[in-house]
Amino acid sequence: VRGPPPAGSVKQRPAKHTAFRKFYERGDFPIAVQHECVGNKIAWKVEIENLDYHYFLPLFFDGLCETEFPYEFFARQGVHDLLEHGGNKILPVVPQLIIPIKNALNLRNRQVLCTTLKVIQHLVVSAEMVGEALVPYYRQILPVLSIFKHMNGEL
Amino acid sequence: KMPEVSEVMTKADIKPKSMHRAKIWSDDVENLYRFQQAGYRDEVEYKQVKQVDEVECWPETGFVKKLQRRDNTFYYYNRQRECEDKDVRKVKVYVY
Repeated sequence: VRGPPPAGSVKQRPAKHTAFRKFYERGDFPIAVQHECVGNKIAWKVEIENLDYHYFLPLFFDGLCETEFPYEFFARQGVHDLLEHGGNKILPVVPQLIIPIKNALNLRNRQVLCTTLKVIQHLVVSAEMVGEALVPYYRQILPVLSIFKHMNGEL
Repeated sequence: KMPEVSEVMTKADIKPKSMHRAKIWSDDVENLYRFQQAGYRDEVEYKQVKQVDEVECWPETGFVKKLQRRDNTFYYYNRQRECEDKDVRKVKVYVY
């Protein structure tokens, strides 16, 4: 009697083009990449303090699914800058970030997983009560992490 | 208008006398690194070009937080150190 076939829980899923990519190619984002001799940095055409976080933060989180340059770089660095300078604008937007986070984790891509985990770490320390705000959404985020919990150092 | 013009001329005339490269990291080197990443020599030139009195800094560390480049885009910097040891040697220190 043969055992059951593998379910493919750790198998990487194909990524679809994200809304982030569409908006970036349309030029809707207030960002430009600057290639400096000391490393790449993202330059903002508009001050982050004046951005509508309800609109931009979920879009940038959606870009976490991307793996190609420059989309992956802009999404990762853009999320970092928005979280670093968001302050109290981040907490009201947390519910809208769950689906992008879930989509990124569901890809089962090792690189995307690591990036998303670091983003979640940054998210919970970026403002007050954000960690507590994530608790109702644990059931949506944690199952995929549970699949990879035995991969210490292999991701 | 004449006193304003002469004041602007005086500010524009402030130029460094010498320059050397940084050898070890420090808070000042970190801030110089940030200004030079944004395309300025240092805080003096930034204030001259952008006509501002103060630069926005992180209260916890005192590092530069936000700079406006000459093309009017904005650079945002982290609370913690960004200048790695391998980049310290590239930082220019100007003496007035």
